[in-house]
Amino acid sequence: MASLTLDKVRKAFGPVEVLKEINLAIDDGEFLVLVGPSGCGKSTLLNLIAGLESSTDGEIRIGDRVINDVHPKDRNIAMVFQSYALYPNMTVRKNITFGLEIRGVSNQERDKAVADVAKLLQIEPLLDRKPSQLSGGQRQRVAMGRALVRDPDIFLFDEPLSNLDAKLRVDMRTEIKKLHQRLGSTIVYVTHDQIEAMTLASRIAVMKDGILQQFDTPQNIYERPNNMFVAGFIGSPSMNFIDATLVDDGGNLAVSIAREGTTIVLPLFEAPESYKAYAGKKVVFGIRPEALTHKRTGSDEQGSQYVNFDSKVEVIEPTGADTMTVIDIAGKEIVARVRPDRAPTPGESMTFSADMSQISLFDPETELRI
Amino acid sequence: MADIQTYSHDAGWKHTVLRGLLYLVLILFAAYYLFPLIVMISTSLKSLDEIREGSLISLPRVVTFDAWNYAWNEACVGVECTGIKIYFWNSVKMAVPAVLISTFLGAINGYALTKWRFKGANIVFALLLFGCFIPFQVVLLPMSQVLGKLGLASSTAGLVMVHVVYGLCFTTLFFRNYYVSIPDELVKAATIDGAGFFTIFWRIILPISTPIIVVSVIWQFTQIWNDFLFGASFASGANAPMTVALNNIVNTTTGVKQYNVDMAAALLTGLPTLLVYVLAGKYFVRGLTAGSVKG
Repeated sequence: MASLTLDKVRKAFGPVEVLKEINLAIDDGEFLVLVGPSGCGKSTLLNLIAGLESSTDGEIRIGDRVINDVHPKDRNIAMVFQSYALYPNMTVRKNITFGLEIRGVSNQERDKAVADVAKLLQIEPLLDRKPSQLSGGQRQRVAMGRALVRDPDIFLFDEPLSNLDAKLRVDMRTEIKKLHQRLGSTIVYVTHDQIEAMTLASRIAVMKDGILQQFDTPQNIYERPNNMFVAGFIGSPSMNFIDATLVDDGGNLAVSIAREGTTIVLPLFEAPESYKAYAGKKVVFGIRPEALTHKRTGSDEQGSQYVNFDSKVEVIEPTGADTMTVIDIAGKEIVARVRPDRAPTPGESMTFSADMSQISLFDPETELRI
Repeated sequence: MADIQTYSHDAGWKHTVLRGLLYLVLILFAAYYLFPLIVMISTSLKSLDEIREGSLISLPRVVTFDAWNYAWNEACVGVECTGIKIYFWNSVKMAVPAVLISTFLGAINGYALTKWRFKGANIVFALLLFGCFIPFQVVLLPMSQVLGKLGLASSTAGLVMVHVVYGLCFTTLFFRNYYVSIPDELVKAATIDGAGFFTIFWRIILPISTPIIVVSVIWQFTQIWNDFLFGASFASGANAPMTVALNNIVNTTTGVKQYNVDMAAALLTGLPTLLVYVLAGKYFVRGLTAGSVKG
């Protein structure tokens, strides 16, 4: 196990720059998730760490060792692939021990290692089967077994769950998390699924167009997204963005939203210093659906600052636990998360509460957090 | 419901008639193609007297394998009357190594072209593909010069080389198209596991290539075994392959024309390719579609 450092790593294919100056550092035992839409460069970054592609510029270190020019087999990493990449001609046992065999580990040690891993992953009855005789979930386990058996410094996962059905994906997610807690190993995990990122990571790196957008703990990324892309990408349903103006409302700053002749004014109780510069200017008001609910009072929850306003309801989407309520504010569809027993009927008007302690403001030009 | 029943009844009647017609046509075609073979077999089983008396298509009254025996052991190829058997072994000595070597090299080429994409891999592949369209006749003269310079003229080894070089384009094409459909992640996983170019080839790629190996072997074996032009040009006399010897038997003009021996010799020449098709034919179709449709 070891730490991992990426220092100004760049990757270009000819004139196309797919990774632009990536700086990342994680400690020993951390679970780093690289997340972003397809084509953002996250898989390329993983391949650079694995050594399957070489970086154009910058330095990659495992522990204190610079590994830019080290062959993949000597980097002491193990990788789990999206397609599992099990060797179809070998039994599960052979699949797991192939790497050890190549490295000249003795038969005895190999048998012991396989037994340990098979026990850990509960795949003992499958050891003598071929990959074609396994279900998707079983193949996934074997692929993980192949990585685990080598006891590497760093585990690399390349969208390992995206080929599984929804239920199994959730189960395996929990299992990977348990495995990480038990083994305490350093993991780099690539996914496009923001829920996977949130649930698994100790730190998340959100990427887009080859640029690292934000690198932080899941909670920080969720609560204080760096920019509108991160805010919209993380969280489901995603954050509502409303064009607004920051106004001075009797000494206090407030968000003013223009709306069919009237305006909704939402006062900010503890506005940070950084907001002051934007007083009187246009901003993008970002609020997550769960911060926008049926009417509550300030004393409902500690630390919350509720402001009420009325709105007509367009559509409702019950999910069981909550009912997603779509309202129209200034021509934009806004989703509020309402308790099912308080859910309105479409066309009805009702009072909503916005929790002003959980909002984000963005600069409409740069899309950066204010 | 009733409508559907009438409809299906109607269709069933038409279906039977159409099926019948279809089979009739197919049987006619099959007979048309099988007829020469039947004549050959029946003629080869007749005695020379019987051939002279009877008609061409009548079945043998007395079945005798004398002609087969004579063709194998005694028939005169040119002036040597040693039968076709030594030429059969010439063909085996030529075809087996040539098939194995060209298939093996094709596999390595295909593997390198798809899984270890180097700069210019596409150009190399395009040039190899171009080789598939070069007719035999074009390479005859340059090839004979090369063989002469290498000291391989008129030898089985030289013939093997010619067939390997000529077959390489086809085998590479087969294997390349097959390997394109094998996920690259397999090679990546093996690389991380510590395996190199040849270990991955031997341990992972080759074991999953059975269908395309069968295709390549059948294709190459048929091409090489049936080849006449290269055989006649580059290996004369005692080193000639079976096809050339057959030609010489049939064209020997001294004495009586022994049709039964000619037929037996021709059947003996065609037998190995026939056998390969019978034994591995279903893999051929399967592998051909797996290899060529994808990619």
